[in-house]
Amino acid sequence: MIPTIDFSAPRHRAKFGYLLLAPAVLLMAVIIVYPILLSVSISMQDVRIARIGDSGEPWTLENYQWLFGSGETWHALWVTFKLVAVVGGLSVIIGFATAMLVNQKFRGRAAARLFVALPWAVPEVVATVIWAWMLDSSFGLVNWVLLTSGLVSEPIAFGSNPTAAFAAVCFVMIWKGYPLMSIMLLAGLQSIPEEQYQAAKVDGAGVWQRFWYITLPNMLPVVGVTMVMTTLWVFRDFAIIHVLTQGGPLGATTTLSILTFEQSFEFFRMGQGAAVGVLTMVLCAIISRALVGRMAKSVH
Amino acid sequence: MTTLRKTAIGALLAASTMLTALPASAETLTFVSWMKDEPGYGDWWNEIIAEFEETHPGTTINMSRVSRAEYADTMFTMFAGGNPPDIVHLAAFEFQPFANEGWMEPLDARIAEEGIDLSNWAGQTTCEWEGETVCIMLLYTGFVLAYNEKIFADAGIPVPTDWDSYLHAARELRQDTDGDGILDQYGIALPFDDPASVMQEAQNFVLDTGGAWTLDGEPAFDRPEVVEGLARYKQLFTENLTPKELSSADVRQLLLEGRLAMTVDGGWINNTFRSAAPEVQQHLKITQSPFSPPLGGTSNVLGMPSDISEEKKELVWDFIALTASEKYQQRFAEWAKTPAPRPGLDYSELMAENPSFEVLAKAAADAAAANVDRLPKGLELENNEVVKVFYKVAQQMILQDLDPAEAAKRLQEQVSRIKD
Repeated sequence: MIPTIDFSAPRHRAKFGYLLLAPAVLLMAVIIVYPILLSVSISMQDVRIARIGDSGEPWTLENYQWLFGSGETWHALWVTFKLVAVVGGLSVIIGFATAMLVNQKFRGRAAARLFVALPWAVPEVVATVIWAWMLDSSFGLVNWVLLTSGLVSEPIAFGSNPTAAFAAVCFVMIWKGYPLMSIMLLAGLQSIPEEQYQAAKVDGAGVWQRFWYITLPNMLPVVGVTMVMTTLWVFRDFAIIHVLTQGGPLGATTTLSILTFEQSFEFFRMGQGAAVGVLTMVLCAIISRALVGRMAKSVH
Repeated sequence: MTTLRKTAIGALLAASTMLTALPASAETLTFVSWMKDEPGYGDWWNEIIAEFEETHPGTTINMSRVSRAEYADTMFTMFAGGNPPDIVHLAAFEFQPFANEGWMEPLDARIAEEGIDLSNWAGQTTCEWEGETVCIMLLYTGFVLAYNEKIFADAGIPVPTDWDSYLHAARELRQDTDGDGILDQYGIALPFDDPASVMQEAQNFVLDTGGAWTLDGEPAFDRPEVVEGLARYKQLFTENLTPKELSSADVRQLLLEGRLAMTVDGGWINNTFRSAAPEVQQHLKITQSPFSPPLGGTSNVLGMPSDISEEKKELVWDFIALTASEKYQQRFAEWAKTPAPRPGLDYSELMAENPSFEVLAKAAADAAAANVDRLPKGLELENNEVVKVFYKVAQQMILQDLDPAEAAKRLQEQVSRIKD
């Protein structure tokens, strides 16, 4: 006789929930957890090229010794944090400003919203290749405009000057990244009850006070989520930097993701590449937890 | 009704028998290459594939293209994922990590059985890995000077034949021809965008001063000849004789647009002239490199993965043997307009109709005689890291004014560390 479970009974109700969740959990384990475990395993092997299905090398901490003893890692970490600070900060500021702008009622608001979202809709590599052409120091449109308008006396070497290259990467990342912030923050703005603003007006609150005491506190959870998304995006973004500068010049744009690629696919040192990847994952997890927790609490 | 059922069963049996028999003879070989659809090289591959499919009924070759920029990564992923292409086409400087992992099938037994004598093939020794032949060399090229005859004639400057005349021409031919304040014609243009091209370009000057990246397989970056070569290379940038952010493709494009007077490049440059507009193309010529010995190098190789079935290995070997045959080596020279690696081919007709061909043949012979290769001997496995280190130091030398002697010292230290 097959045993039956009455899922409607209070003591079995939770089991039914787990049963329903099981397929999704299993799927996630296969497509998310397994690759992570594989990366951790490879990062602990002294292996140049790892091959799926191979028995693998004995575990060692050699790759982590290289990771923390190498100047390249610390440099990449510094570049990544600089990029996160500049791109994350400016993307959120510009995204917030444009969200507030297109939240107003004015003629052509639908078109303005479309233009704000447009860079986000362009595929990342396509957009970056176009920017790479425009930023070319010898034949690019940007330098031509700057030269012919007399703003600069000689072309800006976006590809060979470390400061200019970093600025170019930041600019393209902000251009590509701020629309998503704008769209998310716009959704957040629209969810703030109008009554709060009306009550504040009755109490004599000015524009800045309404922004400071109503808009900002209400928006903090959304800002928190957008900050997390931007941080994670900048941390893991590879295409924009690879297409624009390939991590150069002189390592000025070598982030952790570029270092991972370089070690794994250019130098064929997959163990070291995986170690950089694991470090990136741990940092992302810590930052996400810190940002989400802080922003979510601050609203209360 | 019974008859109908019997007929249906019979038909099903026949169909199932045919379907069972089909896989034994019908085979598809996968072949990935960056050369697919390239004028010249792509046409050559198409001819070989057509003949192979004709002589191997039921076997088809599925050739697909992956661009050169992401080629090594793609092949690496295919091999690491256990799904390599059946016909392995790789650049001569990138097959070593694959061979080192044991992913390339040794070909010596098949070569001996086929009776192919590879002893005098240009660059074939590069295909030996740990005492075994793991590939067939498809191209060894000597570097030549491609130049725009009209630009030199208009300026009244002779085509350079050595470093001094090269430097003189580079200085004189850099011009703002339309007077808008922006330079639009360069005497020379050196790639500075791609690490491998930067190291290759600098090697021209290092060879000319009697230097080499390695001696007897050991790094030799700090020798005085190398320092002198690096100093010459740096001088071209510090005098602003070349733009600083070009790729090799940009340099070739400038030449094809008639905005560049000269460039030192591999034999393949001859094949690109056909892309230039007729009014430019008529002025594009090829002559000996002003640097001696000329830079030369192995270009690309053909092999097979070690973990495909024996049946497939037999088919892939037939394909490789066909590319190495006298007929298709001759056709290679005709299509690519550059000498093939196989010795003893008759180039008299090609030389008669294209004077550049003789120059290319001589450049390849000179470079081979001087035992020159773009790939530093002894650093094959670490080549990508060495190239990246060289690129960083070259950037420090050119962008941060690092002294060439100090640059050479840093290179020696860093490359030695990588090799150890």
